[in-house]
Amino acid sequence: MADVDAAQRALEDALGPSEVLSDPLSRALYARDASMVEGACALVAFPRSLEDVVACVRIAGEHGLPIVPRGSGTGLAGASTPIADALVVVTSKMTRILEVRPEDRLAWVEPGLPNLDLATALAPSGFTYAPDPSSQQTSSIGGNVNTNAGGLHCLAYGVTSNHVLALDLVLPDASVVRLGSEAPEAAGYDLRGVVIGSEGTVGIVAAVCVRLTPLPPDVRTMLFDFETVEDCAATVSAIIASGVVPAAIEMMDHGIVVAAESFAHAGYPTDAAAILIVEVDGTPASVRAQSEAVERAAREHRVRSVRVARDEAERGLIWKGRKSAFGAVAQIAPHYHLHDCVVPRSSLARVLAGVYEIAARHGLVVTNVFHAGDGNLHPLLSFDRRVPGTLERVLRASDEIVRLCISVGGALSGEHGIGLEKREFMPLVFTDDDLAAQACVRTAFDPDGRMNPHKVLPEGARCGDFAMARGADAAGAAASLPEGSWI
Amino acid sequence: MDLIHPHSKADVLEVLREASRHRTRVLIVGGRTHMDKGNPCETDVELWTTMLDDLIAYEPAEMIAVVGAGMRVGDLQRALAEADQEWPVDAPPEATVGGVIAAAAVSPRRLSVGAVRDSVLEVELVTGDGRLVRSGARTVKNVTGYDLHKLVTGSLGTLGVIVQVALKVRPRPQARRTVLAGGGLETAARLLERVPLPAAVLATPETTEVRLEGWGEQVEEQTLAVAGSASVIELLDEAPFPLRRPWEERALVLEAAVPPSRLPELLAEAPDAWGALAGVGIAWVGLDAADGELAVVRERAARLGGIAPVVKGPGGLGDAPVPAMEVHRRLKASFDPAGVLAPGRFWGGI
Repeated sequence: MADVDAAQRALEDALGPSEVLSDPLSRALYARDASMVEGACALVAFPRSLEDVVACVRIAGEHGLPIVPRGSGTGLAGASTPIADALVVVTSKMTRILEVRPEDRLAWVEPGLPNLDLATALAPSGFTYAPDPSSQQTSSIGGNVNTNAGGLHCLAYGVTSNHVLALDLVLPDASVVRLGSEAPEAAGYDLRGVVIGSEGTVGIVAAVCVRLTPLPPDVRTMLFDFETVEDCAATVSAIIASGVVPAAIEMMDHGIVVAAESFAHAGYPTDAAAILIVEVDGTPASVRAQSEAVERAAREHRVRSVRVARDEAERGLIWKGRKSAFGAVAQIAPHYHLHDCVVPRSSLARVLAGVYEIAARHGLVVTNVFHAGDGNLHPLLSFDRRVPGTLERVLRASDEIVRLCISVGGALSGEHGIGLEKREFMPLVFTDDDLAAQACVRTAFDPDGRMNPHKVLPEGARCGDFAMARGADAAGAAASLPEGSWI
Repeated sequence: MDLIHPHSKADVLEVLREASRHRTRVLIVGGRTHMDKGNPCETDVELWTTMLDDLIAYEPAEMIAVVGAGMRVGDLQRALAEADQEWPVDAPPEATVGGVIAAAAVSPRRLSVGAVRDSVLEVELVTGDGRLVRSGARTVKNVTGYDLHKLVTGSLGTLGVIVQVALKVRPRPQARRTVLAGGGLETAARLLERVPLPAAVLATPETTEVRLEGWGEQVEEQTLAVAGSASVIELLDEAPFPLRRPWEERALVLEAAVPPSRLPELLAEAPDAWGALAGVGIAWVGLDAADGELAVVRERAARLGGIAPVVKGPGGLGDAPVPAMEVHRRLKASFDPAGVLAPGRFWGGI
């Protein structure tokens, strides 16, 4: 049985009294992340060092508290929503850049460092950290690691996993291991690769060694507008078919263009059915060649106008509209539910038509802004939770959207993760054996099920069903969601 | 040694179930091009994957190819070339896709193409006890559960048989050029700094090969940058990269990995048959025998924060410490509970 009071005293001794919160307001604040799920927690701790993180994990273990790691709380799938007696370990006070070594093309940072702060700090060195989720002003590197975060420039640069060389992980037994290496290869299985995207269920990431990417010598940002969504979507496939892999291809539909424009004043064409933002980078000659091919593809699909950013200020403005899109939808309705699923690029137009149909049938407003080049959709349902019955309609529509994406060969999540919100969808894409194998991976790190229970795997998926593994089992030991938490 | 040559995933499942039941130790074999990577181990049978060589799905517009793991790399690259695409992994044409993944083979173009693991989107694996499990998805982005496909990349056939994979492919560059310049590591370091976005910079004791790939005009632009910073010996369009691999003429080849800036220290007293990837930290070092030299290079790599497994000839992986050994043991016990998959071949004696 958890002894919360004893745990609190021990944590206060180890971290200092000001770094441990237990008052009702704090517990309520940390009982949820940016998802629609609400949970509950017993204590909130703010480590300032690797040693503090170790102390948190050790003390939680000694007093029987489950641990929920949390970065900036921008997660959209409920992975850092705590359940019941949990100790929430918040890394947002661990924001130091520990070391920058351009000669080795790497930097060591603490997990709480906001993504954009790292990119800004690196810029004078001629390097950058490539992953740039839309939440980058707030979201932390540690959170990005735990969700294998994507961003606007994944198409050419890849996701977080491609840019993390090594990490220091505090295992659930409070031991510390360095996974991966400053060298390009390391001894052992790629546990680094397993931790990335594991949503805080295998340990707490206490330091991250990121790969530095040289800033491209030239970049061009273009904005295309179309009279139909179909032409816009078809242009995406045509660009790829022409042999160009732009740094980014982002698509915004009419509804989101209108909302973003009135918020960011980026000069977006508000009468367009859809717009594409395409960015190409490389050497000057390569940028010229790519831009020509991209423009040709757009013209073949009846583009209405082409706008090329003339300078850094205009480029910034075009991206500002895109990056503030989610904030801008507050004008449509007070609440929104943001989806994240991936479909084959060639089925974008068909899936979008389906999404509009589903929303219309449930009487909901849907807008779309997404990473078209990756086939990564983000349908955004706007609603007012206070209207009785609305939430139920949102959840039914969401369910249908997920099933639609899966039916065309898509994935449940491209960059937000599974968390609590999507774990019961996992059997849609995986067999019992697949899920049991995944449970084995989790159990290998966390045999006693201490770390972020209830997340990622559906109830019932357990390692013991699969192989001859022994001992306790993280996912299997989880009971049903307690009363008071809702999705 | 008995040979087993399965024709289907179902065959593989059956073979592994039987092997686990009878404690028959199995060595998984693809194109036999990367077998020397790994510690010596005793096995009873060889399981050849080469009949699992179907092109299962390939949509050029998706830039994803799904293939049987026994497909030869040369056959895959030919199929992709028809749509002007490539799997951005450099391996001998007779190697199998699954073998290259299981060995986590390092591409000479690592600087621009990244690690093999970055191109593996989905894996179907038959575990040691004969279960088929799938991980990942046929999409370029995917955060859906635990990435078994990362775990098996580089696992040297000790967790299961990779039977099918979905690979991220990309357009073939329109122009490819190797610029051979005079000067070794120092030249390479200078070129890495001054040439914008090269595909690779490979130093040998006396020369540096700069690989340039992309649009025609871009390659010309980059060539000028090379010429401005080093003495150019030769320009070769459409040549293989690297042009020469003198280290492979030796009996034994080490594949050392250290932080990139430590390459000069690693190679300071190394014998003269080596090639090193600037900005990456990989060095292939050729030796005549698994004698004292091997231990010296290994010890030096370890001191510089790296490893140095042998990839050709005898010598195994070396005794670099494996982090989280308990996690490794539990993984092995879950995926190969009877311990029949190449016992002892992996790091740490797994």
